[in-house]
Amino acid sequence: MAFYYWYQNDPTLYQAEVMAMQKFFPQFKIDQLQDGSGRLYWRGKVQPIPGGMVWDVMLIYKNDHPHAGQNEYGGSVQILPISPRLKDIAEQTMPDLIKTYGNYDNCAKRGFGLGLPHIYRQNFGRNEEYFICTADPKYFKTGQTHSTSAATALSWACKWMMLCEMWLNGEISDDVALEGNY
Amino acid sequence: MANEEQDAVAARRRALAEALRNGQDVVVAPSGEVEFKSEAQEDGQTAIQVPNGKLA
Repeated sequence: MAFYYWYQNDPTLYQAEVMAMQKFFPQFKIDQLQDGSGRLYWRGKVQPIPGGMVWDVMLIYKNDHPHAGQNEYGGSVQILPISPRLKDIAEQTMPDLIKTYGNYDNCAKRGFGLGLPHIYRQNFGRNEEYFICTADPKYFKTGQTHSTSAATALSWACKWMMLCEMWLNGEISDDVALEGNY
Repeated sequence: MANEEQDAVAARRRALAEALRNGQDVVVAPSGEVEFKSEAQEDGQTAIQVPNGKLA
């Protein structure tokens, strides 16, 4: 019998996800979104760099986890920072980016169309939110036997948070933020 | 924060920024802190390896 939700269809994968998170990020707790979608999520706090921000983040499984399409820039686990909120940061960075690159179109061409490197937007509840675009789809493992777990997605996201903070502080250049081999 | 501590944090951030530029392998500790693989091994702590590959 096939169920709609991945965690019902594949209890072994669910257990593996829970074990990986408990091992690598034990402060994160699992829960279910209260929007009727049945989606599971992890929520917890991380501090990627010393002296840096504490990020309160949600890792939200898509219902077809572990599958992800070729153009899904976050795999089947979406990463949504609750605090700081990316949309708020992006609204502050955009005026400076427009000043640097001359106009919005140039910012977008450069890869800063949303005001921060490596993010995408999507509706979440009643709001449009900005999510971390962790890794190029070609680096994600998807399928029945291998998948990118929430723990792996969070490790990638922590690296992104470090990159984002350093970019905001001027510690790395736009080029490194956008094109670096990390 | 004391001066020595501030210096240590600044040095640490410089090293991490360099790691970003060079594509150096890093791991993430349970706190979320990004660390160098060798450090985590020396400390014997649990840390997850960040997969290689470009951010999208």
